[in-house]
Amino acid sequence: MSVAQTAPPPAAKRKGPKGPTLRQRLDVAARAVAAIVVGYVFASLSTAVLARLLPGGTEEATIAATLLSFAVYTAVVIWAFADPKTWRVWLGLAGGSAALAAILWISLIVEPRL
Amino acid sequence: MNGSFRQSMAWLHTWSGLLVGWVLLAMFLTGTATYFRPEITRWMEPETGMPADYHIAAAGAAAYLSKVAPDAKSWSITLPDERQATASVFWQPQPKPGEEERPRRRGRNRDTQATLDAATGDVVKPRETRGGEFFYRFHFQMHYLPVIWGRWFAGLCAMFMLVAIVSGVITHKRIFKDFFTFRPTKAAQRSWLDAHNMTAVLALPFHAMITYTGLVTLMALYMPWGVLANYSSDDAYFKAVFPRAEEIERSGVAAPLAPLPKVIDEASKAWGGGRPWIINVSNPGDATARIEVTRHSGDKLSYRGGSLTFDASGKLLTRSPEAGPANVTGGAMYGIHMGRFAEPVLRWVYFLCSLAGCAMVATGLVLWSVSRRQKLPDPERPHFGFRLVEKLNIGTIAGVPAGMAAMLWANRLLPVEMASRSPWEVHSMFILWGGMILYACLRPNKKAWMETLGLAAFMVAALPIVSAVTTPERNIFANAMRGDGAMVAFDLTLVALGALLAFCGWKAARYKPVAKPKRKAPAPTVATEAA
Repeated sequence: MSVAQTAPPPAAKRKGPKGPTLRQRLDVAARAVAAIVVGYVFASLSTAVLARLLPGGTEEATIAATLLSFAVYTAVVIWAFADPKTWRVWLGLAGGSAALAAILWISLIVEPRL
Repeated sequence: MNGSFRQSMAWLHTWSGLLVGWVLLAMFLTGTATYFRPEITRWMEPETGMPADYHIAAAGAAAYLSKVAPDAKSWSITLPDERQATASVFWQPQPKPGEEERPRRRGRNRDTQATLDAATGDVVKPRETRGGEFFYRFHFQMHYLPVIWGRWFAGLCAMFMLVAIVSGVITHKRIFKDFFTFRPTKAAQRSWLDAHNMTAVLALPFHAMITYTGLVTLMALYMPWGVLANYSSDDAYFKAVFPRAEEIERSGVAAPLAPLPKVIDEASKAWGGGRPWIINVSNPGDATARIEVTRHSGDKLSYRGGSLTFDASGKLLTRSPEAGPANVTGGAMYGIHMGRFAEPVLRWVYFLCSLAGCAMVATGLVLWSVSRRQKLPDPERPHFGFRLVEKLNIGTIAGVPAGMAAMLWANRLLPVEMASRSPWEVHSMFILWGGMILYACLRPNKKAWMETLGLAAFMVAALPIVSAVTTPERNIFANAMRGDGAMVAFDLTLVALGALLAFCGWKAARYKPVAKPKRKAPAPTVATEAA
């Protein structure tokens, strides 16, 4: 579990006994917000889009999309902390959410809700 | 993050597990107890008898309701199964002219509900208690919080848990080998790590399943966006997924209601041997009466067994529509979480896996502080955050089981006639839990571990004695004589759980911290193990 702490990786060795630097703290905060808040928005939009686009009837598609939503959210959170670049996480999630929102918008124009 | 994929996952695992670990432990422990919810309720209602054939309760409920509420708008009867000793009934009176019709709320109004003995069908008045229902409710909606907030908070914690599980598996590349590794005599940190790995990996499919399906049980709350993308309101969705019969106006033509035992036999036949669970009767006593029999939620893997509707004479009119594959999958995920389908052996497997989950969370929390202490600038004088973790660990790992036991003590010791008795049963759990955290803050760690775990062990293991003294008809021999195997097993399980806590206390007493502050060479690290 605590591999990173028991054997500090070379990158982390730079941090002294004082703990993480301000930059590292900000990085963690940026990723946490991206993962928890933007990740939820992304998972919600992907659920909405899947609920409209999956085959099998409205009711079935809605349930299937909702059942999958927590897997999407988890995957997003994992990625938000795994990607070496924080800006890429933000860009990917914001861009992805915008794209999903656009698809949802078009789909709602083509076929209104029940 | 800086560093490799696996390192960043290790970091994520550590912190997602730690931040909400104490809440997760409380959720896991109360959820574990919930697998024996009917038994806990039976234990806490010693005035009630033994489970019996549900036909008796069905007949008793019909007789009772036609006496107290012959012209009600509707009746609802929850039948006992082979684990419950009571049936509960409630009715919705006709709305008075001019009175706004309020949405029905289960069990809120004491004037329109009753508890019936399963064996006789007569009204019983057990002591005021929330029984096993409290642990069930707490494990997904907390307490002292508005219900919706509590559910959101529980959902957030469950997401943290899911992330901790996934990142933990990624971190753990020797997952198969660690399954067979336990080095209790090695360096303390290593054996904590092994214990954490063993309890986690041993029941990993269970932990992943229970966390995901737990989120699924409340998915309409957490993730309403799929529904809102397709339906203009929640109502439209629920009408589509769970269609309900239209309400019919009373005709004013009196007609006797078909005997309910006969109706449930018809239902059972239509299901090919299924058990009934809830009977709803609308317009009882009228020619327009409808009897809806819902199938027991443990009859199939899917929690939603469907229902059948009969007319006043007991003729089968309609059955609920067959659900589609995604709907059935959702129902099955719900059902697997609840475990109501599980027969006794499988139920014990559920219980033990769930206990392993508690141990996984608890050992994870301890592991954090044990491995962290070695890397503190001055391990003798840890900073505030570190001390907080240590104290919360002690106060929660010992405090939650002790608090749960305190609730059962209060159930037996508070006067039966006491006003707001059941809220005080619940308060006693939190008073003891909070007290344990405070106590841990006042004592040195090692002593605090020993004393709190010792008290928890005593509180749990002494419950059969408390019960035998305060309710002699429920002592273990009386239970055995009556043939009440579930209550005998309940007392024995309490003793076993007390012994388990005592064992933890004994381990804490023998524990010697390995990392001496003066020591220069660091202990062999996990990274070298893993490499």
